[in-house]
Amino acid sequence: MRRFPQSIGLLTISRGQRAGPSRARRCYSTSPSTNANPGRTPNGFGVLGLVAATAAVTAVVTASIMSKRTEPLPKPVVENGGPKQRVGPRYADEKTTLKALEEIKSSIKGISVSLDPDDLESHGYAEWSGSNIPERPFAVVMPTTTEEVSTIAKICTKYKVPMIPFGAGSSVEGHFSAPFTGLSIDLSKMNNVVSLNADDMDVVVQPGVNWVNLNDQIKESGLFLPLDPSPTAHIGGMVATNCSGTNAMRYGTMKDWVVNVTVVLADGSVIKTRRRPRKTSAGYNLTGLFVGSEGTLGIITEVTLKLAVIPSSYGVATTTFPSVKDAAAAASKLIRRGIPLAALELMDDVQMQVINKTGGAGGRMWAEKATLFIKFSGSTESAVKDNMEQAQEISKAYGGADFEVAKSQEEMDSLWAARKQALWAMLALREEGTEIWSTDVAVPLSRMAEIIDYSKENSSKLGLFSSVLGHVGDGNFHQAVMYDPRDAKQTASVKKCVDDMVDMALEMDGTVSGEHGIGIGKKHCLEKELGSDTIAIMRSLKQTLDPHCLLNPGKIFEN
Amino acid sequence: MASLRQKMPNPATLRSYRALQRVVAVPRVRCYATDIEPERPKPLRQGNEAKLGRSFQGQVQGSIGQRIQREREERDRYEHWREVTDPSRNWTLTIFVLGMVGISYWLGTFWHREEEKASTYRLATAKEIRHNTKLENMQAAWADFLKIVGKDHVSTLETDIDHHAASDWSSHKPKPEERPFCVVYPGSTEEVSEIMKICHKRKIPVVGYSGGTSLEGHFTHTRKGISIDFGRMNKVLALHKEDLDVVVQPAVRWELLNEDLGKDGLFFPPDPGPGAMIGGMIGTGCSGTNAYRYGTMREWVLSITAVLADGTVIKTRQRPRKSSAGYDLTKLLIGSEGTLGLVTEATLKLAVKPEHTSVAVASFPSIHHAATCVSKVVGKGIPVAAVEILDDNQMKCINEAGATSRHWTEAPTIFFKFAGTPNGVKEQVSQVQALAKEVGSKSFDFAKSHEEQDELWSARKEALWSTLAVKKEGDRVWTGDVAVPVSHLPDLIEETKEDMKKSGLFGTIVGHVGDGNFHSILLYNDAQRAKAEAVVHRMVKRAVELEGTVTGEHGVGLVKRDYLPHELGETTIDAMRLIKNAFDPQCLLNCDKVVRMQKPASGEVHEW
Ligand SMILES: Cc1cc2nc3c(=O)[nH]c(=O)nc-3n(C[C@H](O)[C@H](O)[C@H](O)COP(=O)(O)OP(=O)(O)OC[C@H]3O[C@@H](n4cnc5c(N)ncnc54)[C@H](O)[C@@H]3O)c2cc1C
Ligand SMILES: Cc1cc2nc3c(=O)[nH]c(=O)nc-3n(C[C@H](O)[C@H](O)[C@H](O)COP(=O)(O)OP(=O)(O)OC[C@H]3O[C@@H](n4cnc5c(N)ncnc54)[C@H](O)[C@@H]3O)c2cc1C
Repeated sequence: MRRFPQSIGLLTISRGQRAGPSRARRCYSTSPSTNANPGRTPNGFGVLGLVAATAAVTAVVTASIMSKRTEPLPKPVVENGGPKQRVGPRYADEKTTLKALEEIKSSIKGISVSLDPDDLESHGYAEWSGSNIPERPFAVVMPTTTEEVSTIAKICTKYKVPMIPFGAGSSVEGHFSAPFTGLSIDLSKMNNVVSLNADDMDVVVQPGVNWVNLNDQIKESGLFLPLDPSPTAHIGGMVATNCSGTNAMRYGTMKDWVVNVTVVLADGSVIKTRRRPRKTSAGYNLTGLFVGSEGTLGIITEVTLKLAVIPSSYGVATTTFPSVKDAAAAASKLIRRGIPLAALELMDDVQMQVINKTGGAGGRMWAEKATLFIKFSGSTESAVKDNMEQAQEISKAYGGADFEVAKSQEEMDSLWAARKQALWAMLALREEGTEIWSTDVAVPLSRMAEIIDYSKENSSKLGLFSSVLGHVGDGNFHQAVMYDPRDAKQTASVKKCVDDMVDMALEMDGTVSGEHGIGIGKKHCLEKELGSDTIAIMRSLKQTLDPHCLLNPGKIFEN
Repeated sequence: MASLRQKMPNPATLRSYRALQRVVAVPRVRCYATDIEPERPKPLRQGNEAKLGRSFQGQVQGSIGQRIQREREERDRYEHWREVTDPSRNWTLTIFVLGMVGISYWLGTFWHREEEKASTYRLATAKEIRHNTKLENMQAAWADFLKIVGKDHVSTLETDIDHHAASDWSSHKPKPEERPFCVVYPGSTEEVSEIMKICHKRKIPVVGYSGGTSLEGHFTHTRKGISIDFGRMNKVLALHKEDLDVVVQPAVRWELLNEDLGKDGLFFPPDPGPGAMIGGMIGTGCSGTNAYRYGTMREWVLSITAVLADGTVIKTRQRPRKSSAGYDLTKLLIGSEGTLGLVTEATLKLAVKPEHTSVAVASFPSIHHAATCVSKVVGKGIPVAAVEILDDNQMKCINEAGATSRHWTEAPTIFFKFAGTPNGVKEQVSQVQALAKEVGSKSFDFAKSHEEQDELWSARKEALWSTLAVKKEGDRVWTGDVAVPVSHLPDLIEETKEDMKKSGLFGTIVGHVGDGNFHSILLYNDAQRAKAEAVVHRMVKRAVELEGTVTGEHGVGLVKRDYLPHELGETTIDAMRLIKNAFDPQCLLNCDKVVRMQKPASGEVHEW
């Protein structure tokens, strides 16, 4: 064929018009109208082309519709390597974001919005985080009610603007960083205790409530919330990271204390996962899904928390060991014997040294040896005393010495404060320009001594200054490694040190994050821990609940 | 070609003819359009003046030229016409158009229409569920199953099928056709995965079955399909004494597990119905008497290996005691009643057996007194291991059934369990005794020996069976289960008791009151079914109004799914539905349970 112009309808029509009218009759066209009105209609080519074009368009449209309709047929639940997506999530550019921001301002009267570089800095960077990135959020918005958050979510979905929930910003793995910029949704203005139900031992709070303040406010009722992460942390962030702390050994982690959450989903729908029963088997455990989801599935705007009774008597004891390994082994034994301890914390010789350097604790200086801090609690004096005796006996068997019991309430508080301030002490001590990489793995109890020993040795072999402190009561410990980010060799050493530790933890059937979460810094580790199928099902959950990937994008796993 | 040459008048025109030939030769031969005579051009008309002004030769040549000219035009037209009408060309065009349509269609599949990207999945827009349970398909699948598990492990025996279709203690009465086609007994995770692959391919619905003690129609075969009984997967795979955890298969019974663990001074706290197995316990998110102190199943599972609807195997964690790594799939699977995945292995946390335990029993003048005592004990933070309430009717049943050797006061009674060091326990007992007295207890006994302890506690565990023992021939039992914030508990129990009395049905109340959770056990015969249903319905409604839940521990199954929206709101259920759809788009796994995936027929859902 020499010519091939029929392929496009438009061209065909013009060609048809050029041809004489009488020709039309001779063609094999199926269209009867060509005979009826030969003067006007395009000839057969045109009609065929037109039909073809229409058919093609129809086909494209039906195909796209059909492809949607028939999607659920034998489609694998888990698609390895992530769901097929031709284009990655596309987000609003600067102009559109600005437009969204204007719309937020006009739909919510009096909402506070900030474009101040300092605010953006504090909402995108943290000196205690090991995973900072150069990007910053575009703006910070501070809603005050669930409805406002829902409005913001609706607008952000309309304009495809990423939303990054923000609590106190104490998380350490770059949880609230803004790799795709977007809006930082700071919930700290939602800081009311909505209602305290002392008889039911629960409390309803907004996400911006600080846990230390909460415990202060409800002290009268004889109840408390037993989670204790960073003293600055907010309930929203604590729920989102599934935090724990020193009390976790006795009281468990955040997920054990959340009765319900009210959540704004990506499209602005609001759900409340439960009413207020202390236990329930009603339907899927959405509460459990949102706890620890790091703001990637929804924005938490209200939480009901269980509370515990403040123990009527408790005591704190410390005991030193010749090595970290002995201390960790003693800790395992204490747990294994079932002595009802309230907390069991380990600090290594370096950490004790750091404490002494920053002025000591409990009003005194300490032996610079691996030390266990043990908290006992009970309803009666005698129970506490029984437990202390047993603990002393066990620690002796592992070379424990100087078993000391705090005598007064002040001494107890101050001792415990020393433990809580450990990371700050480390930060205070570091040299100009250096940073601290705080790791967080957890392993089965019996392997703890081994991995702590290994990590310490590994870091000193690499010439790094590091301390170990651990919530050893549940097999979880942190190694704080000091390094200079400008020094490429040191940075590489830290990376290796951390990677080795993670690999070892996984080999021991452990986890890459005991309490700090994944954020942006540990994504690659999570894949190692769980395997691609498990990540794939997480990803499909994320994609179902947040189809445009607007909520805290780029966290936990690649989207 | 030959005719053309004959027409050739003289050699002088040969050159121009050749040029012409090049153009027309082939088309002339190939013209198929014989039916329609091409219109010949009319000869050019010339004035005489023009003709006369020419010589003869000139005239001849002129006329030859004209003829050639004419023929050339004619050929041109032929050619053009051929181009238009050549059938082969038309065929090509047709094929081309169809090809274009095909290609466009194919391209269209890449251009996904913007889906309604909502974060919820509403029932109104739910798609139709299409399974294939036709006999041929099931028989073919049966042959596949034989290949996977061997012929000894697939059963189509009536008795086996009956056993997996319904139970005496379930509150749901299945329709006669709601039965599995066969029961498959896999022996490993891989076999379960293979079975699911077959079912996924053949669109066969599946229901998991472990102990079969669930109470709300959890394993009813509403869509027929097959039953997967985990009975053969009943091994303890690894006990890590030092790590306080154990790896088990789904058909390990919790009582047997605890017998094993006891030798090492360990135990697994959740204690649901006797006969329940780990798989089903994860399925329902069960708890039991120990939940007050130790928490529910959710707090005691570290990791789950599950087979998803398409046969994919996932493991939610390794063995750390705590973790913040990624979404908590473990918690999502616990309590999902086999609708998201089939549990084929689980790592359980273990507790150290308390050094010393004791049991005390106190009776009170009324339920309200008893409940008040409970809130005092709980509020004081006395770390009792368990608090259970049994009402007067229940105590009567225990006496009548002769479940224990001792005779009980037939009054509302609280069972306490204590655990700790000997000194600690002694102190707790005296604290509780003092509180009970303050409230006005009629009696307070505590066990002096270990045997006595077991004896006392067995009365509590036997509650449901002793109620069953006093039932009349043909009676069925309906176990209700709600939980409310603890402060609302006394009112709710009292109102429920009142309601039961008014209805004229015999019923008892037992409760894990420490958690605000209690059960009503109603006896009814076929004629009274509607009455029993109404009593339970009112109890559930009241619980929801008191900020409680429609089920504290037994789960939703079939019976309670239409209550859920009232407890949680439509949007929350829509989010759950979305999750179910993401895990299992064909709705193969225990379809119809927990959340509806298809619009109910009119009249199917009762008024709230
Ligand atoms: C000195 C120090 C000590 C620490 N000790 C501990 C410890 O012992 N145990 C422990 O577990 N952690 C510890 N951490 C880590 C940190 O305190 C916890 O992760 C804490 O839970 C974070 O709370 P936040 O309010 O600061 O959250 P943010 O850092 O503001 O946010 C954390 C994540 O949660 C999301 N988020 C915040 N609010 C919401 C919301 N309302 N809805 C949805 N998502 C939200 C964010 O998007 C982000 O992904 C420590 C940190 C420091 C600096
Ligand atoms: C006398 C009696 C007393 C009871 N007391 C209590 C109590 O105190 N507390 C309490 O919580 N419950 C109690 N129950 C209810 C029942 O024992 C629990 O719900 C128990 O968890 C069910 O376990 P099962 O092995 O019998 O499960 P099944 O009945 O076999 O199954 C339950 C559900 O889980 C699914 N399932 C089964 N195996 C698997 C698997 N491997 N993977 C995924 N899904 C699976 C099933 O499809 C079904 O939906 C009691 C029941 C009785 C009869």
